[in-house]
Amino acid sequence: MSAISLLTLILAFLMVVVGGRKGITAFLSVVFNFVILFTVVILITGGLPPIWVSFFAGICILGITIYMGNSDEKTSNIAFKATLIVLAVMLLLIIPFDHFAQIKGFASEQSETIEAFDLLIGADFEAILISTTVLSTLGAIAEAAIAVASGLNEVIEQKPGITLPEVFKSGKMIGFQIMGMTFNTLFFGMFGSDLALFILLYKLDADFSYYLNSKIFVKECLAVLFSSVAVILVIWITTYLVGKNLNEHRQKIDN
Amino acid sequence: MQFKLKSMWHVALILLSGVILYFFVSNDEFLYQQPIGKVVAVKEEKPTKTTDVYNNSDETTRQHLTFEILNGKYKGKTVKISNTYSRSGGLDQKFRTGQKVFLDVYKKGNTLEATISDYKRDVYLVMFSWLVVVLLYLTMQFQGLRSLLSVLLNFVIFLFVVQLDVKLNLNNFFWIFAGAAIVFTALSLVLVIGFNWQCLVTFTSIFLGTTIALVIGCLALYATNSKGVHYEALDYATQSPQQLFLAATVIGLLGAVMDAATDIVSTLFEMKRSQPTIAKKQLFKSGQAVGRSIMGPLVNVLLLIFFAETFAMSVLYFRTGNSIPYTFEWTMALGVVQALISGIGIVLTIPIASFLSAQVLGGKRHVSD
Repeated sequence: MSAISLLTLILAFLMVVVGGRKGITAFLSVVFNFVILFTVVILITGGLPPIWVSFFAGICILGITIYMGNSDEKTSNIAFKATLIVLAVMLLLIIPFDHFAQIKGFASEQSETIEAFDLLIGADFEAILISTTVLSTLGAIAEAAIAVASGLNEVIEQKPGITLPEVFKSGKMIGFQIMGMTFNTLFFGMFGSDLALFILLYKLDADFSYYLNSKIFVKECLAVLFSSVAVILVIWITTYLVGKNLNEHRQKIDN
Repeated sequence: MQFKLKSMWHVALILLSGVILYFFVSNDEFLYQQPIGKVVAVKEEKPTKTTDVYNNSDETTRQHLTFEILNGKYKGKTVKISNTYSRSGGLDQKFRTGQKVFLDVYKKGNTLEATISDYKRDVYLVMFSWLVVVLLYLTMQFQGLRSLLSVLLNFVIFLFVVQLDVKLNLNNFFWIFAGAAIVFTALSLVLVIGFNWQCLVTFTSIFLGTTIALVIGCLALYATNSKGVHYEALDYATQSPQQLFLAATVIGLLGAVMDAATDIVSTLFEMKRSQPTIAKKQLFKSGQAVGRSIMGPLVNVLLLIFFAETFAMSVLYFRTGNSIPYTFEWTMALGVVQALISGIGIVLTIPIASFLSAQVLGGKRHVSD
């Protein structure tokens, strides 16, 4: 048995034991997302435009992560709407920044790994980079959107007469609480995977100018910064949508 | 009305700071030692079509660039360099007039010659960092900047530990990073929660969850003889790739486990505060419920981070005639193993955090802090 199959079995077993029926759904959502990501790579290899492929894949991933991870339909709907808006905004932000910063493809530090390859493969590495950046932020925004939406709904349920400014204030509070931790998750997740790179940089005696300008370092930093912006935006938009929803609901009752 | 005026001032000041910063960073050549050249003229040759053995067609174009040097002792001089770029752009890039580039300049006889060393990217990095700080400030004023502080502090420690690792050059350097992981956890928790019982319970849950997940992961890798996993495929590895991979996994999994543990423990402590008579059993049950709802999204966060990073490499493998299993083993397997071990850590943390909180909070004890 391969190491990956064994680890997958262990994860599935633990998720079912700890989570019961919800654990099965959660495990399935991970499997579905994996299949989607794999399909994205195959489709991009096949020559379909990477940005469009990842845009549609992104919608599916958000849907799966939110609806399969959260059982309350009302909060799921709001979270899904908010993440879709953020997905579109992030695309508009990432496309020009990735283009101007020229961080596509591979860095010269990777040459050992890629020297066996002929790089003239007719793929659009800039578009591939954009899809990488967009897709890697989706998990974090889905999680943040669910947390804010369900947290706010709880607040509204406990205090039915709550005013809109109070809702926005609570959204800010909840957002602040989850933001610190989400930043940590992103930070450790991304820099953990770049550990080898950092050791290499130290061995190369990189100077400050290198950190501010080298392709690989700027690329990794921008990835973290993009995710941070996405998380902040999703907190704003989710809070706004919850407030708007509440307002519409109240007007309906009034009439 | 007064509020509106005040916030307009705010917006104006923020925008002004952005403009000043942009102006400064776009003209910061004097800060660099290395010569920086600005493209002043571009002449392009006709593109050449290429086709490789796998029938991938591409296009390369040679361009003749004239640079004006902006700093250092050759300031004001111009140099000519030619550059070849491809349509796919795996390692090269197309230059346009106005772009700035770091140059290696040397004298050959009486003429100046130069090669391109790197593109100048600092403007984009600095401006985007500015955008993040502004957004954080707008969302929650100076409080928001505090959540950046813990990340920055951790980053500084991280760099320090990397330096320590390079200097000491130990055989078992994994333990340096394992130790660092404990420091990261303790520091982040004290900064976010403060030093109290809640912090202690969270810390213990994270420590146990991470350790057990790592032991399970290592046992599984050992039992299967790491079949299908190639540590050599780790990019940039300059030390034992297997240990490097484990160290990276510990740090990667820490964030997510921290997230899960904090969510559960803080919810349970909050519950105890609002309902002081709540039973141990109920606390454990509620902790499990919180855990169940965050487990799926959290595992997905890591899967997406680890998997999306391999896109460029996977496309390169596929396009150069490699099979799906081969490509998977050499480009994605390491990331998937990392995501799986992290997932195991997240799931294990749920009962551990619920149990520990229930034990500490259960009975008649009041939450004193």
